Amino acid sequence: MSPSWIVGLDDPAAADAALVGGKGAGLRRLVALDARVPTGFVVSTAAFAAAMEGAEDLEASLRDVGPDTPLDVLEQAAGRARAALLGASRSGLVLEAVREAYTALVGPDTRVAVRSSAVGEDAAGASFAGEHDTYLEIRGPGAVADAVARCWASLYTARAVSYRQRAGGDAGAMAVVVQEMVTARAAGVFMTLNPANGDRSTVVCEAVWGLGEPLVSGEVTPDRFVLDKISGEILRREIAVKPTRMTRTDERPGTVVAEVPPEDRDRPCLDDAELAELLAVARRVERDAGTPQDGEFAVADPGGPSRIHLLQTRPETVWSARAPRSATGATGAGSALSAVLATLTRTTRQEGSDHGG
Amino acid sequence: MAADRFPSPFEVPTPDGAEGWESMYDWYHLFGPERRELDEQRFWFADRLHHPDVLHPYDEIQCECWWQALGAFNTRVFAMPPAFGVDQRIVNGRLYVTPVPAPPEDIAARAEEFGKRAGHYYERWDAIYDEWRTKVMAKLEEIRALRFDPLPDLEPEETVYQHTGHSAGFRMIRDFDRLVLTMYETYQYHFELLNIGYAAYLTFFGMCRAAFPDISDQSISRMVGGLRVDLYRPDDELKRLAKEAVRLGLAERITATEDAASLFADLRSDAAGAEWVADWERTADPWFLINTDPGHPGGYHTYPTWADDPNIPLASVREYLRRLADGTTIDRPTDEVLAERDRITAGYRELLPEAERATFDDTLALARQVFVYIEEHVLYIEHWMWATFWAKSHELSRALAAMGEFDEPEDMFFLRRYEVAEAIYDCVAGWSVGSRPRGADYWRPIIARRREIYTALRAWEPPPALGPPPTTIDEPFTVMLWGITTSTVAEWLRSDSEEGVLRGTAGSPGVVEGPVRVVTHPSELPSIEPGDILVCPATSPSWAPVFGRVAATVSDVGGIMSHTAIVCREYGLPAVVGTGNAVSTLRTGQRVRVDGSAGVVTVLEPV
Repeated sequence: MSPSWIVGLDDPAAADAALVGGKGAGLRRLVALDARVPTGFVVSTAAFAAAMEGAEDLEASLRDVGPDTPLDVLEQAAGRARAALLGASRSGLVLEAVREAYTALVGPDTRVAVRSSAVGEDAAGASFAGEHDTYLEIRGPGAVADAVARCWASLYTARAVSYRQRAGGDAGAMAVVVQEMVTARAAGVFMTLNPANGDRSTVVCEAVWGLGEPLVSGEVTPDRFVLDKISGEILRREIAVKPTRMTRTDERPGTVVAEVPPEDRDRPCLDDAELAELLAVARRVERDAGTPQDGEFAVADPGGPSRIHLLQTRPETVWSARAPRSATGATGAGSALSAVLATLTRTTRQEGSDHGG
Repeated sequence: MAADRFPSPFEVPTPDGAEGWESMYDWYHLFGPERRELDEQRFWFADRLHHPDVLHPYDEIQCECWWQALGAFNTRVFAMPPAFGVDQRIVNGRLYVTPVPAPPEDIAARAEEFGKRAGHYYERWDAIYDEWRTKVMAKLEEIRALRFDPLPDLEPEETVYQHTGHSAGFRMIRDFDRLVLTMYETYQYHFELLNIGYAAYLTFFGMCRAAFPDISDQSISRMVGGLRVDLYRPDDELKRLAKEAVRLGLAERITATEDAASLFADLRSDAAGAEWVADWERTADPWFLINTDPGHPGGYHTYPTWADDPNIPLASVREYLRRLADGTTIDRPTDEVLAERDRITAGYRELLPEAERATFDDTLALARQVFVYIEEHVLYIEHWMWATFWAKSHELSRALAAMGEFDEPEDMFFLRRYEVAEAIYDCVAGWSVGSRPRGADYWRPIIARRREIYTALRAWEPPPALGPPPTTIDEPFTVMLWGITTSTVAEWLRSDSEEGVLRGTAGSPGVVEGPVRVVTHPSELPSIEPGDILVCPATSPSWAPVFGRVAATVSDVGGIMSHTAIVCREYGLPAVVGTGNAVSTLRTGQRVRVDGSAGVVTVLEPV
């Protein structure tokens, strides 16, 4: 076994995105920032390459796939590629190393999240959001190894294949992140600007009870909070009715959707102290990256101070590509007097359209 | 069902018992049939910010001062590009106003002129403000020096031996004119700097909103405010006096004695007490020349100043003594406020495009410069000048009553100022010829009737607005000063507004729950319990000490720049301002939730 197959998130080598993929490198940066990140390791691209060594041509079935390929044909071709990949990886030293690393992490019964971390994803300018797989609440060495292999195989889901057709690039190398599950009382996403208007003085956060996956996949309406990055104010709270939450079961691995007790359904799932903590860590991450970020987080049960864990962060790709909003509108920069004149002569029509984005 | 317009001013019924109210006000302040076609097309709103109560005929002068001066400086002196003046009418004793927009085709030409004229002021702001203070203080001294005494049986000897050449009767006529004219003159100065100051302040607001659409008004205000200004001095003096009382070992006596007169008498009986009373008296002039109107200070002749009623500032001193005894600090955290101001300013600035940072700095510097005036003029004019004007008016009314022109001094305030000039002439003529004034007999039935009318008018609940609402309200001064926006007006029109929910402007952030305490007169302030939600027409700087006790404030009138909003932000208390009708809707004791971030008050339990 090569030591670079398994790279701990506490290992500086995890900063190498070519080795650990975009997500892995992002997590490493958070660890280096002293942000709270669930313990874990990355099954590196070197491990992936080793597992695939000597395998037949995985992409043989995809040769004839093009932009006009009918969906069912695409599905079949992708399925054959995945099967080839799973077959090639099933035996061998690499997954054995994964099983050992899992057991060494916190013990053989620990529940982990297994997430794909492709090279090139999550980079500024291109978001492969949701194009690769994530497995939650996985327990036991065998199940973890299996989830890792399925993450590898997710390089060849029909959507990933067709995404690459549009966005370009080859399947490349896939790393996989294995991290201890946070028992989430609440979880969500944040963005260090307001995606609705490009306001860079805000952090917008959406959150739900339980695990964040139903929110990320857009299945539920979350609570929405708008926080002022500079003053720390909670500018807006839009509280949704949240009848269900995704959670773990004690009996078996995996997740279930459970009912939220009636008294909690229309209650904010994050309190002011948690929002303040999230704001602080979001600001730290943004400052470190030097560009607006979005990210996922979870509040470890039962909530309260020092319980916010970052699950991933990445550069925001839409507004960051544009100049920050203008303070002076079409009038451009000038003296205070010219700014006063612009204010006093602005008509209603201009008011409605003075938009820096 | 939402109506699409407010009642026509020409169709507002006269309350029972108030028939003939029109005689109490000058004709030019009334809706007249000859102007119906024009005035019925205009949107008028009740100016409860400056005039929350029925106007006494004499107090109409207060409205006239700003009607003319604001108008002239906007329209004629500085050529404020979008806005002319604010027109006024009185309906059933309440003041309604309508901002007059400049014709759109004139705006460009006005802007060019404004750039030159206001630019001249902006460039020299601090020096002009220094001159301003000097000339306003001179006016203050002028009216302080006026004396209105009953006319003497025989002229003082100096009239003869110093060849004065005129009589005390003439001087009474002259000095009343001087009193009125000096007040008018001061109002010119009031608007000399105010609206161009607001224009700069608004510009900074607009800039922040353009770059940061989500930014709160509070954050913008914090970047500008936090300066050490004289407006806070009266309250600071009370804090100082509380500390002095502790140093002199007087805390217990001051706390134990309810009534100011007996307290001062008791304190004078020993050296330490006498020292403190002497300190109090030195401080009182000018720092306790503070009007106590609930709302814009100085608007009415009926409210005492701190100096008139020492029980009001004494209540504050007792509160500070209590907090000192608890070991809590009573000093305003000025350094923290300033440090926070600098921190957030740097934070927002850093997020701006680099090319705009110089404009931001320049505009912020101007906004901070003008803001000192925006705050301090309230002390110099709304408090000192008006308090002195009303005090001199009371002095005159006592002199006229003593001479038999009126049955009692308060009668004078039921006459319009032109009628007061007539009364003075009548009184002086009677004195001059060695007879009695005719006034008491002449005015008696008129004043008696006006007292009835006044009482009937006070029972009337004025509609928030009259006439057709504009599609949008974006005239910057209306929005900023009165807190009136397109959505406020829409809310007024909704007759099916949400039960148990009051909406206003988010004045100061935070959410709290607590029991309501409705306060409409400063005499009710001592009843406030710690943790109460203060519900009032508006607050006045003279109420400052209650902000140490209340959990939140809800006001009927005011925008983000109102006193309530400014003070609550400073004290870190949630505030919802400009709700329109909190005083008439909420009851003392009722539990409510105040969301100062959203501008919403929710009734938690009906009473």
